[in-house]
Amino acid sequence: MKKIGLVLLLAIFISTGVILQGIAQQLPPGIPREETLIIDQIFRYSIVNNFNLWVSGVPNPTRQSLAFDTLWYVDQQTGKWINSLAKSAPIYNKDFTELTIKLRDGIYWSDGVKFTADDVVFTIQNIKDHPGMLWHEQFNLYVDKVSKTDNFTVVIKLKRPNSRFHYLFTTRYNACYIQPKHIWEKVSDPLKFTFYPPVTLGQYVLKDSDPAGYWELYERRTDWQRTSAGIITRKAGPKYVLTIFYGPNEKKVGAMIQHQLDLLMDLDIEAFQTLLKRNSYARSWYKDFPWAWRDELDIRYYGFNLEKAPYNIKDVRWALALALDVVKLNAEYIGGVTRVTPIPQPATPFHMKYFHKPLKTWLRNLRIEVEKGKYFKPFDESVPERLATWAKSQGYPVAGDLEDLFGIGWWKYAPDVSERLLVKHGFKRDKDGKWLLPDGKPWKITIIAAPDEVDVFRLAIGAADQWKKFGIDVDIESLERTPYYTRQNMGDFICTSSWGMAAGSGASAVIDKWPYAYFLHSRYYKPTGELQTTGNYLRIKSAKVDELIDKMEAMPPTDPKNVAIVRDWLKLCTEEMFAIPTLSFKKFVTFDTYYWTNFPTAENPYGQPCYWFMGGKFVLPYITSTGRK
Amino acid sequence: MGVIRSLLKYDKRFTFGFFIIVFIIFLSILSFFSPYDPSDRYIVPRDRPPNLQYILGTTSLGQDVFWYLTIAIRNSLIIGLISVSLSRLIATTIGLVSGYLGGNVDSILTTLVDSFNVIPRLPILVLISFAFRGYLNFLGIGLLLAFFDWAWPSKRYRSQILSLREREFTNTAIFSGRRTLGIILKEHVPFLLPYIMADFISGFLWAIGMQITLSILGLFNLDIPTIGTMIYWANYYQSILKGTWWWIGSPIVALILTVMSFYFLSVSLSSYLDPRLRVLRVKEKTE
Amino acid sequence: MENLLKYIVSRFFQWLIVVFVGITVIFIVPRFTPMDPIQTTLNRVTAYSYIDPDAINKMIETLKDLYGLKGTIFQQYVNFWKHLLLGDLGPSLSLFPTSVMDVIRTSLPWTIGLLAVSTFLSWVTGILLGTLAEYFSNRKWSQVLGTLVMCIYPVPYYIIALILVLLFAYIIPIFPLVGGAAIGLKPALSLNFIASLIKHGFLPALSLMIGSVGWIFLSQRSLTSRLVSSDFITFAETAALPRKKILSYLIRNSMLPQITDLALQLGSIFSGALITELVFSYPGMGYILYSAILQADFNLIMGISIFSIIGVSTAALALDIIYPFLDPRIRYK
Repeated sequence: MKKIGLVLLLAIFISTGVILQGIAQQLPPGIPREETLIIDQIFRYSIVNNFNLWVSGVPNPTRQSLAFDTLWYVDQQTGKWINSLAKSAPIYNKDFTELTIKLRDGIYWSDGVKFTADDVVFTIQNIKDHPGMLWHEQFNLYVDKVSKTDNFTVVIKLKRPNSRFHYLFTTRYNACYIQPKHIWEKVSDPLKFTFYPPVTLGQYVLKDSDPAGYWELYERRTDWQRTSAGIITRKAGPKYVLTIFYGPNEKKVGAMIQHQLDLLMDLDIEAFQTLLKRNSYARSWYKDFPWAWRDELDIRYYGFNLEKAPYNIKDVRWALALALDVVKLNAEYIGGVTRVTPIPQPATPFHMKYFHKPLKTWLRNLRIEVEKGKYFKPFDESVPERLATWAKSQGYPVAGDLEDLFGIGWWKYAPDVSERLLVKHGFKRDKDGKWLLPDGKPWKITIIAAPDEVDVFRLAIGAADQWKKFGIDVDIESLERTPYYTRQNMGDFICTSSWGMAAGSGASAVIDKWPYAYFLHSRYYKPTGELQTTGNYLRIKSAKVDELIDKMEAMPPTDPKNVAIVRDWLKLCTEEMFAIPTLSFKKFVTFDTYYWTNFPTAENPYGQPCYWFMGGKFVLPYITSTGRK
Repeated sequence: MGVIRSLLKYDKRFTFGFFIIVFIIFLSILSFFSPYDPSDRYIVPRDRPPNLQYILGTTSLGQDVFWYLTIAIRNSLIIGLISVSLSRLIATTIGLVSGYLGGNVDSILTTLVDSFNVIPRLPILVLISFAFRGYLNFLGIGLLLAFFDWAWPSKRYRSQILSLREREFTNTAIFSGRRTLGIILKEHVPFLLPYIMADFISGFLWAIGMQITLSILGLFNLDIPTIGTMIYWANYYQSILKGTWWWIGSPIVALILTVMSFYFLSVSLSSYLDPRLRVLRVKEKTE
Repeated sequence: MENLLKYIVSRFFQWLIVVFVGITVIFIVPRFTPMDPIQTTLNRVTAYSYIDPDAINKMIETLKDLYGLKGTIFQQYVNFWKHLLLGDLGPSLSLFPTSVMDVIRTSLPWTIGLLAVSTFLSWVTGILLGTLAEYFSNRKWSQVLGTLVMCIYPVPYYIIALILVLLFAYIIPIFPLVGGAAIGLKPALSLNFIASLIKHGFLPALSLMIGSVGWIFLSQRSLTSRLVSSDFITFAETAALPRKKILSYLIRNSMLPQITDLALQLGSIFSGALITELVFSYPGMGYILYSAILQADFNLIMGISIFSIIGVSTAALALDIIYPFLDPRIRYK
C-alpha cells in the first residue's frame, strides 16, 4: 500500500512539473508572437508535407493563398480584375481560337529562379500529358498547342473556339496553379511527386510543419517584392504565418479568447456571440449587428426534383414559396444576419448593382395567375423594413440603407394565395386541415439536407416548420455530404435544402453567368434514376433555358450585351420558380485585433476577407501589427 | 413480490435503484401525455431557463425540455433494451453452448464469433448509419446495435464457463454423480449471474453510449428524440458555450440516473441470488 | 506436447479463416452503400470551378482506372487480394495518389502510444482499486469510491472529454488546445520532447481512462465478490494470513477474464479513438478512418481495418494459446 502511495505521489509531482513548464502557448523559440499571424487551417492534414496541389487528394486551403499563384484574379468583394502573373487581360484572336498571354517581368520563384513563359508553357504541357492531374481533361479538350513567342509571352492555340478558356487561369477560389519548370521537368511521375519542400511564387515559404498535420509555419520571403502580391500591394505582410487547426468551433473560440488565433474562417452564430462576449478585440465584417460577412458569392435555396409530381407543376412551387415567411426564416433560424434574395443570385453589393436593383421594377410588376383571369403580384418590398423592425426589437442598432442591409425584398407571405393555387390543381384539405394530393393521398415532403452546412440545415428546419403549419406533412432527412450528393445526382429526393450551382445560382465575381448556367442546357440532361454528373440535379429541361444559354455562349464574357441576357436568364428562373432562392451566404469570418489589425471590414472593404481563397494573398500584406507584445 | 418487499426492506442499494427506476419509467410513460409532438419546434419561447411553467426550461429550437426529455428517455430505453436483450440472448446461448459442448461445435462457433469480433465495430457502424440512416427507425437501430454487440460478450461467457468447468466443485459434483444440467443450474448459474448482470448493464451502457457517439457525429436518425440526439441538438446550438446548461444537462443527468439505478439493482439482485452471500446476509441479520 | 502442437495448428487455421472472413466483409460492405468515391472526388474538384461536361465524363473514366474501380465487384475483389498478398494496399482514394501505407504510417504511432498506455494503465488501476474496494467493502473510502465510480462511469465518453477540455484548456488553461507535441518541437529522445508528449497526451489519456477504469473496477468487484465470500478467504482470514497474500490471491483468481479483456482491447486499438481525437485535436487513426468513411475512401477504410482485424485476431489467438499457462485447470483439447 505504501509503495503504491509513493508511486502515486511521484506521478502527481512529475505531472505538475510537466504541466507548469511553459503554460502559455507555445510558438517555437525564435518566432515572436507579435510577428506571427495565426490563422485557422480549417482542417487537419491527413497527409503532411505534400504540396502537389495538381492532384485531387492533396489538402489545400491556406496553402494556395500563401505559396501558390496563377495568372488572373477577380476580387469577389470589389469585383475588381487583378492581373497577377499576367501583365494584362487575356487577348483572344477574332474567332476565339488563339489566346495570347503577356506575363510580368520581374517575378521570381522562392529559390531565386526567374519566372518566365517557359513555366506557363511547361505547366500546361505537363498537365496535358498526365492523366489524373487536375485540369488534365480540360487542357486535353481545348488546347491544341502551347508555345512561347518570347520570354514573357505565351500563345495557346485552341482546338475549337472558346471565348472563356482563360477562366481556367482566373480565380475566385482557385485556378490552375503554375509549376516551376526547373523543378518539375526532372520529375518522372508527377502524380506521386510531393513537391516538398515547395518552391513558391507566393509571398511566403514553408518554414516548418507538424508531422501530425495540425499546423504549418510559413515565413515571409526576404525577396517578397519579387512576387505578384508584393508588386501589386507594395506591402509586406506579417513576417510569419502559422496556420493551425484547433478543432471544432468551441475550441477555435477558446483559442481566440486566449489570443492564440488571429483569423478564423467561420463560426455558428451561437459560438460567435459567445466569442464577442469574452473577447472585446474580436470582430467580424461589421463591428455591430449584423456582424457577419454576407458577400460570398453563393445563395441558399430549396430545390425540387422537377420530375416528381406534383413538383413538376410551376404553381405548386409558387404555392410553396408563398407559404414561407422569409422574415421569420431569416430572423429566427439564421439570426437575421444575412440578406434575402428573390432571384437566384446572391445579394452582394455589385450583384445588387447589376441585377437586383435593375430588376426591381420587373419584380414589382411580376404577376402569377391564381385562378383563370385573376392575378396576384407576389413581390414584397416591405421585407427589409420588417427585418429592420425585428432587429430593433432585439435591441440591435440598425444603421444605413435598409436594402443594403437586408436585400431588396422577397415574396409575400400569402398562404391564402398558396391555398388557391393548390386548389386550382385539384389539391384538397382533409377534415384535420392537412393537404391531400390531387389523387387523394396525404401530401408528404421529405427535405434532405447536410447538417455540417449550418445555414442550409437550419433553413431546412425552418421550411419544415412553416410548411407543416400550412398543413403539409414535412420531415427532414439529415445526410452527410457523400450520400447527400449521391441522392441528388441520382434524383433520389423530393426536396433539397441546398446551395451552389444547381439552380444556376452560383456566382463568380465576373458578371458573366454562363459558367453557372451552361450545364443546365438540355444536352447534358439525365433523367431521374440516371447518374447526372454536371450539376443539374433538379432536372431542369426547358427550351427557353437552352435558347438563353446558346445566346450567352455566342458572345465573349465582356460583351456589354451579355448583362442583358443574364438578366433575362434570371427573370426566367424566377418566373418558372425552378427552385426557391432564399438567402445570401454569410460567414462569420472573425478576427482578433489584439496583435494584428487592418483586416478588411465593412468600414474598409478593400478586399475579400476569405484568406483561404487564392485571392487571400492580396489581403494579407495589408494586415499590420498593433505593436502589442 | 415477496422478494422485492424483503429487498426493499433490507437493501438500501435496492431501494435507491428501485425508486429511481420507477421514476424513470414513470417519466417515459408520462411521454405519452406530452402536450407537444416531438417534431414540433418553435412552440414555446426559446432559451428559457427552468421556471414554474417550463420546469426544465426550453431549447433554442423552442421546445419544452421536460416533455422532450420524457420522450427521449422512453426511446433510448427501448432502443437500449432491444439491443441488449437480443445481443445477450445470442451471446449467452452461444457462450454456453460453446463452453459446455466443446469439440467441433466449439471451434465452429469460436471461428464465427472471432470473425465477428475482429471486424472493427465503430467504423462499420459509422459506415452503415452514414449510408442508411434515413431508412433506420428505432427498431432498426436497436437491431443494428444488437447485431454488433453479441460477439464480444459471448467470448467472455465462454471463457467464464471454461474456468468454471475446471473448478474443484465441478469435479466434486461430477464424481458425486450429479447430472450436468444439475451442476450447471445449481453450481454455475449462481456464479454466472452476477457476471451476466454486470454484463447486461455494460451492454445497455454500450448501446446507449453508441447511440450517443453516433449522435455526436450526427450519424443517428436525428429526427428520433433520444438522449443521444438531444445531446446532439444541444451541442449543435452550442448549449455549453451559450450557457443553456439545462438543455444539455437534463439528458446527461437522466442518463446517469438511469444507468446508476440499473447498476444498483443488478448489484443487489446478484448478491441476493448468490447463495454464499445469502448465508452471509443471514448471518449479518441474526448477529 | 503433441496435443499442444495440434491445438496450435488448428487454432492457426481458425485464425486464417477469421482474418479472411473479416477482410472480405470490410471489402464488401462499403461497396454496397450508396457511396461513390469517384463522385466524391468530382464534387471536391468541381466545387469552385466550372468544368465542361465532356471533360467530366472523361475524368470519371480516368479516375475509375486510377482508383482500381474498373470491372465487376468480383474482379475488383480478386485484384485486391493479388495486391494485398504482395503487400500493396493501394493508393488512398480521398488522398490520391498517396499510398494507404503512407497515410497510416503518419498516424499509427500516435494511436498506439495513446491507446496502449491508457488501456494498460486503466487496466492496472481498475483491477487494483476494484480488488481493494471489494475486499474492504465495509470501509468508508471504499463506499465513497464505489459511489464515485458509479456516478462518473455512466457519463457518456464525449461528455467527459468535453468537460475536461472546457475545464483544463479554457477555464484553467494549463493544457494545450491542440496536437501531440508542442509547435515546432521535433520528435527526439530528449527530455523536452517527452515532457511535451506527456503534457499533450495527458488529457486525452485521462479522458479515456476514466471510463475504462470504471468498467474494470466494476467488473473486478463483481469477479472478486464471490471470491471474497469463498471458503479460502474465510480460512485465510481465520488463519491470519498477511493481507498482501490474500489480495494477490484475489487478483490472481480473477485474472482470466480480465486478461481476455485487456488483450482484446489492445488488439483493437488500431482503429483509433475517434471522439478523443476530435475533441482534443489529438493526432491518430480515428480521424483518418472517419474521414475515409465520409469520403468513401474504400482503400483507406480497408487498410486501417486490416490492421485492426489482424490485431484483434492475433490477440485472440495468443490468448487461446497462453490460457492454459495462466490457468492450469484449462487443458488443450
